[in-house]
Amino acid sequence: MKFVKLIRRNLFRNKLRTILTLILMAAIFFFVSTLLSILENFETAANSGEGQNRLGVQSAISLANPLPLSHEAKIATIPGIVDIAKLQWVGAYYKEPKNFFANFAVDHEKMQTVWDDYSLPKDQLEAFKADRRGTIVGEELAKRYGWKIGDRIVLIGQIFPFNPELTVRGIAHHKFDNSSLFFHFDYFHEATKEMTGGMAGTYWVRVKDPKDMSRISQQIDDMFRNSEYPTETFTEKEFQQQFMAMIGNIKLLFTVVSVCAIFMVILLAAITMSMAARERVTEVAVLKAIGYTGGMILAIMLIEFVTLGFIGGLLGTLGAKLVYRFVNMTEVTQGFLVNFGVDAKTALTCLIAAIIVGFLAGGLPALRSARLSVVDGLRKVW
Amino acid sequence: MNQLVEIRDVHKVYKRDSFDVPVLNGVSVSVPKGDFLALMGPSGSGKTTLLNLIAGIDRPTRGQVFVDGKEISAFSETKLAGWRATHVGFIFQMYNLIPVLNAFDNVELPLLLTKLNKRQRKEHVETALSVVGLSDRMNHYPRQLSGGQEQRVSIARAVVTDPTIIVADEPTGDLDAKSAHEILDLLQQLNRQHQKTIIMVTHDPKAAERARHVLHLDKGVLVESQEVLHEIRQAH
Repeated sequence: MKFVKLIRRNLFRNKLRTILTLILMAAIFFFVSTLLSILENFETAANSGEGQNRLGVQSAISLANPLPLSHEAKIATIPGIVDIAKLQWVGAYYKEPKNFFANFAVDHEKMQTVWDDYSLPKDQLEAFKADRRGTIVGEELAKRYGWKIGDRIVLIGQIFPFNPELTVRGIAHHKFDNSSLFFHFDYFHEATKEMTGGMAGTYWVRVKDPKDMSRISQQIDDMFRNSEYPTETFTEKEFQQQFMAMIGNIKLLFTVVSVCAIFMVILLAAITMSMAARERVTEVAVLKAIGYTGGMILAIMLIEFVTLGFIGGLLGTLGAKLVYRFVNMTEVTQGFLVNFGVDAKTALTCLIAAIIVGFLAGGLPALRSARLSVVDGLRKVW
Repeated sequence: MNQLVEIRDVHKVYKRDSFDVPVLNGVSVSVPKGDFLALMGPSGSGKTTLLNLIAGIDRPTRGQVFVDGKEISAFSETKLAGWRATHVGFIFQMYNLIPVLNAFDNVELPLLLTKLNKRQRKEHVETALSVVGLSDRMNHYPRQLSGGQEQRVSIARAVVTDPTIIVADEPTGDLDAKSAHEILDLLQQLNRQHQKTIIMVTHDPKAAERARHVLHLDKGVLVESQEVLHEIRQAH
């Protein structure tokens, strides 16, 4: 504690250099905390199906291959199933291709039983069910396009030659997904059956007891193993993870970029800290002459450099936390990032990384100062 | 007088690349307690090296250095640092104050190594600064002080721990005549009124005149003393 003043004054000895170093570190840690938060966001999205007693059934060949409608009744006979619903990825956009978001045709009667994690007022749900062209939209999506209950919207199909003309009947809230749109499968089927031949992209199965998930999953796949349309059944978590994996190994890419950014900041900070230590050679020699040991010099300088790293990391991480609190990233990224922010775990990781940066960048100059021969240092003085 | 410093047959050889450069060649010196000794000699004569050995910031290649009965040349680095903190006060030619600390904080630096509490440290610093006549400049930074004032702060830093010995290398070398005179007055006052043992390296005969004894070194060998002092006094 006695040396706090000396450390503090040395830290801001060259204000411009210190401020520039802090800006550099803050910028890098803003960037790193953003990348880590995106990874964390993906991870959360991939795990969003965890805990749901829901199984997804898709074609064993690929997600792009549809399944016949006849599968539905057969799957429903398996004991332990509460309900089963069709879900078709439509892939349409709103007005312009850039206004793209997830949109699905669903069994409207099954929204309550299979997708009960989407909450909306009962009267809205009933209005949706009653209107063949009704749609339920996520609250973020509604906010993005300014949609209100009763608004008529037209989507433009890309995969299917069909432009759904819909009326907003409900605005739903979900823990993770507030950017999707659902409309009646019947409406979709009627418009596309000639092209699709009466197929559904996936089936979703609500299971009564989570302990039966594995058994039911096995039974579904066994049921169609030798058919023309074999299935592959996943838990919702596995399904989400498979979907995330389709965007490539982003985790590895982001991790590599983060490590490179941190490595760069270590090198730049090391140069700055070496300069700071170098211009203090005579002062260090004087301190050692009057009785400061090498260990004390090492500790004083390391604390200074680590503090610099920590402040830079803190500014960058807190800056990112603040920015993402006030900037709606869901809107900015067109729904790609939902509930985006820098969480405590990511902030802590960045702060620990900042401390390590301080140690690594300042370690060598501090060690060199600690080992400085008093006579050599004073030769410039005496 | 008791002998405070005993240098016995000290040799010092510096290695410069692959060459051995002998600086001190068998120097033996005794400095009594309470003395004010001036070390004189041409550049390269070994006077600063001798001062470094006495101050415990360098070690002899051969020979022994005793201060207050302890052979400091046999101390470990850490022990030597601790010993310097309590026994040696340093005064440098270029003052060498820490520019980011004010006068008070600069003088307090050696006290941070002691067990004194904040209040005690404050008392010691204020006393030291009043001895050098800078009580009213405590909050000034080195850049806000004149050369003479900076050297006074440096002297306050040297005496604040009440050291056994004060070493000064060219303490007036960077000062104008008036400031140099004042600094020498101060050193003389510390020696005469506070019985501080002072060893000073100087090129300046006027500065050496203030000492009680003068030792002359040439090519690493000692040339004694009383006659030299006499010559200087006669010359001025």
